Amino acid sequence: MKKIISIILCLALCVTVLASCRSRNADSGNTGTLKVAVLESAYGSEMWEKVCDEFEKVSGEVNVQLTADKNIEDVIGSQMKSGDYPDVVHLATGREAALTETMIKEGALTDLSDVLDMKVPGEEKKVSEKIIPGFTETLATNPYQNKKTYLAPMFYSPCGLFYNANLLREMGWELPTTWDEMWALGDKALSEGIYLFTYPTAGYFDAFIYSLLASSGGVGFYNDVMNYREGVWDTSEAKAVLDIVARLRDYTEPTTVANSTGDNYLKNQQLVLDGKAIFMPNGTWVVGEMADAPRTEGFEWGFTALPAIEDDRYSFTFFEQCWIPQEAKNKEAAREFVAFLYSDKAAEIFAQYGAVQPIMDMTDKLSGENKLFYSVYENGAKAVMGGFAATEAVEGVSIYNTLFESVNSIITGDKTVEQWRNEIISVSDKLRNNLK
Amino acid sequence: MRISKSFLFWCVAPAFLLFLVFMIYPTISVFVMSLYKWGGYSAAKTFVGLNNFRTLIEDTRFIGSFRNSVILLVIVSVITLILALWCANVLTHEKIKAKSLFRVIFYIPNILSAVVIAAIFSAIYDPSRGLANSVLGLMGIEPVMWLGNRGIVIYSIAIAMIWQATGYYMVMYMSSMSAVPYSLYEAADIEGASGTSKFFSITLPLIWTNVRTTLTFFIISSINISFLLVRAMTGGGPDGASEVFLSYMYEQSYTNSSYGYGMAIGVVVFVFSFALSALVNIATRRDIVEL
Repeated sequence: MKKIISIILCLALCVTVLASCRSRNADSGNTGTLKVAVLESAYGSEMWEKVCDEFEKVSGEVNVQLTADKNIEDVIGSQMKSGDYPDVVHLATGREAALTETMIKEGALTDLSDVLDMKVPGEEKKVSEKIIPGFTETLATNPYQNKKTYLAPMFYSPCGLFYNANLLREMGWELPTTWDEMWALGDKALSEGIYLFTYPTAGYFDAFIYSLLASSGGVGFYNDVMNYREGVWDTSEAKAVLDIVARLRDYTEPTTVANSTGDNYLKNQQLVLDGKAIFMPNGTWVVGEMADAPRTEGFEWGFTALPAIEDDRYSFTFFEQCWIPQEAKNKEAAREFVAFLYSDKAAEIFAQYGAVQPIMDMTDKLSGENKLFYSVYENGAKAVMGGFAATEAVEGVSIYNTLFESVNSIITGDKTVEQWRNEIISVSDKLRNNLK
Repeated sequence: MRISKSFLFWCVAPAFLLFLVFMIYPTISVFVMSLYKWGGYSAAKTFVGLNNFRTLIEDTRFIGSFRNSVILLVIVSVITLILALWCANVLTHEKIKAKSLFRVIFYIPNILSAVVIAAIFSAIYDPSRGLANSVLGLMGIEPVMWLGNRGIVIYSIAIAMIWQATGYYMVMYMSSMSAVPYSLYEAADIEGASGTSKFFSITLPLIWTNVRTTLTFFIISSINISFLLVRAMTGGGPDGASEVFLSYMYEQSYTNSSYGYGMAIGVVVFVFSFALSALVNIATRRDIVEL
């Protein structure tokens, strides 16, 4: 008898072990449920809860299951590996886990071109009539250059140089509009013991270098670089960009590189608030990020596009993206949801939390510092958008590491401009052969 | 008492099943996935044979991360071993007040999480206000960019790892040192042996089995802890200068969408740590001294 009981107990243990391995994908067939996964960024997740509630009211039957997390890749990544995909994902490119990039590289996104032609639920206008022209014609939305939109443009933020407007005013220094004026200001500032430049991490050089490329050779040249055109890094326009970054070495606050790794980047941002460095490349989120940080008396955020290399000044527009996985179960409701994100109701909710969508006339509704930041394009700067064209994943090769992370070695003097350029050319050659 | 074989089988089955599911299956999966080109999330997998391993041989960043891992493995293991043995010997055999207090103080770093250790050392290495540069400043030495200098950063991480590990191994050595009979030391004293010769002729041979075991721990923990500290302190920077095995594996698997390639790195790490442990085990084999 004892033996039988022991065997039954052991069997029960085995069954428990096996049962714990059972798939959690039990309710994926429910067409009335829309699974929405969003990154909980600096804007918070409350706005998403409100938007989902509003969508449920408009759609009638759909029940939205919202998952919001600061590390959303960790939450949905393992589920996706086991075949359980969300229906809508709001997650930008440029994250360390690179989930969005991986989905692009693997061709695992749904074509959203027809969403642009859909009427916004509850409104008369089409989605395409509401989005600011140009936002759905970039490599960040149409990664395969086939005129099809796979990623919907969401919250955008102009990127450029942030500084202490009060410091410039007090010192009687003019805001530089060309790089010659920038270097002259750098010399003046150095004589006062203030450094011209700092940067949070080398990763922030993406928007910086994109703007410089456009300023150096125009948007056509910028697109050539983004598409890895052969010989593009041999041109004088590209050389001018690399030379400017290399010259920044003489004007960069000396502790910048040491604090640009890991979680110490806030110390570099603090240099601007402390009046130890004038400019840093950043996005509008820096204001919220440093809201509680101490600062010099009278500190006032200033924001400007990058100084011009040739005639035009550019400010890179960073925007987040929303997409539907190819494997999504409820694609119809997902399309409706993405269209709804551009409704007046949703835009109003997002704007309350500081998240600005590329919807026409949205900037008129902004106030305070946001008004200053988003008016950069009205003050003469041109917009440049998108990023590098999608390629197959090439093992051990990354244009981001080679082009942006190398800036740390340029600033410390461990790498020459020529070495840097040769590495960029080598990586571009490899990626060109793997363009999607 | 006679226990039937089937009863034993059913008793062992649950644990064995867990071992299969969580140890054997993932390990085999890593080997299988290393033969594929795969982003990690979609169903698109392409069999590429040993291509990932061929790419690895020419990947300079992987070679750099391999070099850094080996540097950390050697430096951290050797210095920690020496420091832990010395501290254990002093605390066991010397007459010091508040021995227990010292033992606790030395052990504390081991119970801190890697993130806390990273935060502590980030503060120590702060270029303008950090403890390290303040001390150097007192001696009239220019500030050092501990985490910003490509040539120094890996040694800065090694210091943090040594600080973290010494107490743990010290306690392990102390436990075996305290088992060595005191009469041996008394006999040595009568013979006029010095402290050094007592350590090398009595203590070390008698705790050698313990030391050998910890050498394997050194290999495994160096690889794991270096990843955690690098992630939290430098993110592999500046410009990849502090990249180690596992941080590079993470970067390739996720950031570079090359999951299959990342698994190939995993296979190399697995084989390397396994082979090194075996090598160390063979090289340190001695006749066991027992009393």
